[in-house]
Amino acid sequence: MADFFLQALGQVSSPSVLALIIIGVLFGIIGGSIPGFTVTMAILVVFPFTFAMDPVSGVSLMVGVFVGGYSGGIVSGVMLGIPGTPSSITTVYDGYPMAQKGEPGRALGIGVAASFIGTLISVAVLVFFGPLIASFSMNFRPWEITALIVFALTLVAGLSNGALLKGLLAAALGLLITTVGYDRNSNLRFDFGIPALGSGFEILPVMIGIFAFSQLMGNLEKLRDDQGKAKGVDTNVTIPYGRIAKDMAGQKLNTLRSALIGSLVGALPGTGGTVANFISYDQAKKFSRQPETFGTGTPSGIVASEASNSAVAGGAFVPTLALGIPGDLPMAIMMGVLILHGITPGPLMFEQNPILVGAIYASLLIGAVIMVLCQLLLVRWFAKISLIPQEVLVPVVLMLCAIGSYALNNNLFDIWVLFVFGVIGYLLWKAEVPLTPLILGVVLGNNLERQLFRALELDDSWMTFLTRPLSALFLALAVASVIFSLYQDRKIQRNRQQAQVNDA
Amino acid sequence: MLTLTKDRALALVLLLIIAVMWVESGNIRPPTSWQPYGSALFPRILLVVTGLLSLLILVRSLIAGPGERNAPRRSFGEWLAHNRTVLVLFALFGLYAALLPILGYIVATLAFLVTSLGLLLGIDSRRKWIINLAVSCTLVPLVFVIFRFGLNVWLP
Repeated sequence: MADFFLQALGQVSSPSVLALIIIGVLFGIIGGSIPGFTVTMAILVVFPFTFAMDPVSGVSLMVGVFVGGYSGGIVSGVMLGIPGTPSSITTVYDGYPMAQKGEPGRALGIGVAASFIGTLISVAVLVFFGPLIASFSMNFRPWEITALIVFALTLVAGLSNGALLKGLLAAALGLLITTVGYDRNSNLRFDFGIPALGSGFEILPVMIGIFAFSQLMGNLEKLRDDQGKAKGVDTNVTIPYGRIAKDMAGQKLNTLRSALIGSLVGALPGTGGTVANFISYDQAKKFSRQPETFGTGTPSGIVASEASNSAVAGGAFVPTLALGIPGDLPMAIMMGVLILHGITPGPLMFEQNPILVGAIYASLLIGAVIMVLCQLLLVRWFAKISLIPQEVLVPVVLMLCAIGSYALNNNLFDIWVLFVFGVIGYLLWKAEVPLTPLILGVVLGNNLERQLFRALELDDSWMTFLTRPLSALFLALAVASVIFSLYQDRKIQRNRQQAQVNDA
Repeated sequence: MLTLTKDRALALVLLLIIAVMWVESGNIRPPTSWQPYGSALFPRILLVVTGLLSLLILVRSLIAGPGERNAPRRSFGEWLAHNRTVLVLFALFGLYAALLPILGYIVATLAFLVTSLGLLLGIDSRRKWIINLAVSCTLVPLVFVIFRFGLNVWLP
């Protein structure tokens, strides 16, 4: 382990890769700090720039965006009172009040320090648990992998905020999209006589189309509905380093607890930074001796929020690298990056590409250091950049999406794929269909079919999925997750009806 | 009279697509002697699952609670007017995709950016025009240079 890590560190420390990590972190912070842009969008925009790079450079750039993005949300959260990303919603609860009391530098400094420590702890979790889970999952045969993918999809679908049916529908649609084109036996499916459909859809334009268009158009609609609510902001910020060191010294336990919650939540499918954020904030409040100070500008609230959402970065890599199953949207895209560079994430990656795994660890660590330096030195600029209006951002990002899709294969058809899936994604979003299960379905579809048929070719009985203990366990967990979501859906429905009756 | 809610529209459109895909799946080559299951099996399983879920959504929308029934309704014309900007932007993007191979990257992208920025920012002041042209004229060559010389990608 030490050998490959040192080798990877050597590669990542080369000036060109370091420069890419710096660019990635800067872009990630900018992306995270612009309200409505989100970490996922930042990753999607940068993704095409990695096509021509070697795997270590490409992955390092993306990891930089990832680390920067999760910490960037704090800038607009503190300065504007608007979370830059959904994973920094609870940062606003205490960051903004502290800034309103005339201490924006202190709020930003505490958040950045907590982000840094959170990332470091999550890397430790990844380094320890990644190889452990990978070596355990080496025993998985096609039956177990099939069942695990089904479980991951039902779990993500079930966590779609009271929309279980639509979540499952989205996952099935995502899987269906991957059946277009030639299959593993070179049989053509669903080409409808269009030659370009023979090779199926590339994952990238489909993912960008579904996510980016709905997100950008949604931002425009929000802008239309919220007109006149824009407010001016003072971007002159000074960081009181001594005060922050004192604040952080009193937050050791809170930081550790929040970072561990973030790492654990990040490793669970379908959760991500937003869930980590809320759980960690809630726990910090419960453990606090002064819970009444939460929401008024207490350092504990900012630490809980930022340490947990940044720790998601390392935690989320655990299932992606060790099992080949991404837990959330940014990780699904990361998996796309690895696949594009000819690497299949999964247990074998630790054996076949140890240097790349080491490069991910090293990039996370270096990225965290660069993130702190950038945030502390350039926070004033990030605050200014976070004010870029959506009216300018949307056309620019759409253009970058189009060029990125084209650059994948130098193929104009991919821009049409982007456009068509953009329309589909937007309409599904309007119909309140969750898009994360859809994108996860697209990413996992080919593997699911491959593993399912490998299992059936080895043993043509479907019952084997139930007679193998681990496979049966994953399927039972999938059913349990659906039943639990149904129960949750019912509860949400009842509460809504009750609220309507009370309003009437 | 039954009105077309979001859920009903979603379910009906999906059921239609599933029917078309089911018919098309008949054109997939049948399994050979060495294949236990053919290439049509996996998509057909997914079509059945998607169809069942769509049906469930449709049924649920028909027996919906008061919230669903009392949701505010818009006529198609009102909906078009309400979403005018988004729809025009989609149309501009479609036009951009169509014109890219004809006009080439520089001209098509410049045209797309200037028009879409004009649509979103407005064109009623000199300041807005300056922002529009500054963003468009900086980004178009910058992206070209990055892709062409940095990443070795030839843009159309």
